[in-house]
Amino acid sequence: MKDSPQFILTLRKLALLFRRDFAVARSYRAAFGIEIFQALFESAAFYFLSRFVESPKLQRALPPGANYFSFALVGIAFFDYLSVALSTFDASLQEARQNGTLENLLVTQTSLPVILAGSSLYPFALMSLRTAIYIAWGALLFGFPLQGANWLGAFLVLGASVLAFSGLGILSASYLLIFKRGNPVNWAFLGLSSMLGGMLYPISVLPVWLQYAARLIPVTYSLEGMRAAILGHASLRELLPSIAGLLLFAIILLPISFAIFAWALRRTKITGTLTHF
Amino acid sequence: MKNSALSLENVEKYFPPAASGWGALLRPVFRLTVPALRGISLEVMPGEVLAVVGANGAGKSTLLRILTTLLIPTRGRAQVCGFDVAREPAKVRLRIGYHTGGDACFYSRLTARENLVLFAVLNNISEAEASKRIEEITGPFGLGELLDRQVRTLSTGNIHRLGLARAMLHRPAVLVLDEPTRSLDPLAAAEFRRFLLRDIVGARGTTMIFASHMLAEVEQLAGRIAVLDSGLMLACDNLAGLKSATGAETLEESLETLTRRASRETS
Repeated sequence: MKDSPQFILTLRKLALLFRRDFAVARSYRAAFGIEIFQALFESAAFYFLSRFVESPKLQRALPPGANYFSFALVGIAFFDYLSVALSTFDASLQEARQNGTLENLLVTQTSLPVILAGSSLYPFALMSLRTAIYIAWGALLFGFPLQGANWLGAFLVLGASVLAFSGLGILSASYLLIFKRGNPVNWAFLGLSSMLGGMLYPISVLPVWLQYAARLIPVTYSLEGMRAAILGHASLRELLPSIAGLLLFAIILLPISFAIFAWALRRTKITGTLTHF
Repeated sequence: MKNSALSLENVEKYFPPAASGWGALLRPVFRLTVPALRGISLEVMPGEVLAVVGANGAGKSTLLRILTTLLIPTRGRAQVCGFDVAREPAKVRLRIGYHTGGDACFYSRLTARENLVLFAVLNNISEAEASKRIEEITGPFGLGELLDRQVRTLSTGNIHRLGLARAMLHRPAVLVLDEPTRSLDPLAAAEFRRFLLRDIVGARGTTMIFASHMLAEVEQLAGRIAVLDSGLMLACDNLAGLKSATGAETLEESLETLTRRASRETS
């Protein structure tokens, strides 16, 4: 393994960190079953809400091919990726601090960013499974349209979204390293994104200046792309603006967030607060 | 200096003052003004066992954390096997094994084996090689039959052995132990010490530096003893040297004499 290229070595570590989290999650057997039924209840709640609010005016504001139920279900399900990205790096750092493994992880040959990236894989995989369950319940019971969806396109939008959101998640973890708790990075991005990103309503209903502001947050591109791929049956070419927007966020945010994280980590090694919480 | 396993040259470490309430909120970044280590210099040769003793807050854990790259010294230079802890931390980490006396430092719902494989792979050891080493190392540790049990079901003594096995998996040249027997009962602690002396230092020739409050343990394990008080190193010698320098008959009396002298000099 010492002779393996660095990239392969890192992939093996990431896979093992995923297996660690999967093994821990598997040891709590009841949680998974609860997850399936929670998704059912939430899907049902949105279905009945959509029947209540659906009107010709709302229908005109929605993208082609979408009813309010499918629009909101995609919005809720994929907005959760942003929540996971913002919380997963924080959570794995906090967990390592609390269970006492942080110091032992930090004296290994693996850098903390790789450990955090590996620790985020399982939450993202679980989120994907949860999203699939949401959509499956929606399709089985409430007429969520699956036919004609561009799944490859949706997968590409999702990949680009995870990269863009992870930059924000690493920024959030940097804050946590220095200030320990009460994370305003998390709060600000989630609050702004839920208001402006088009989770429950199309951004076209916002005042014009807020529509411009919505273009400055990645979740807008993510939800637009996802809805276009799944509900609007958009081709890869048509999805390109959303994917390009998300990749641009990733290109800007990832290096900045890694640099800030490295600074924060060094700072805690100077102040001696690395393992404090 | 070139051949030493550990070397510290005038190492100083300062922390920011503890802040809470409005002070912490209004001024989140403080200057480093609280001394934890003041001008520590020492060398440890390969195969040597050095104990670090001193009262709570003397700077023992700070010293060990600097050596393990968990803290960056404010001034001075610390090296492990010739590599600088601040500038070449990855090379240092390859050469040290670190174990603290705390018993909550594993993934409790994973088995002992799964934990060891995880940390081995994070130390760039392949899973196949890790499995081989785990069998090799856990035999003498008396952990063989416990490897496939979840860590939460193991006794504190066995978790300690597991911690030491983890620290030894990548065959480090230097073992750094912070109060290694802190939460062990007297019998388990005695067995643990015998194991350290016989299998780790005796058979493998591993250099060891450890902090402890248990003077019997220090006498049994250490070739030399470094005495810290309020971040200053008051003495670093073998047991006989400490006793003769202080005119004391026991290690405890030596420590009392040294700290009394130090407080007289500072006042």
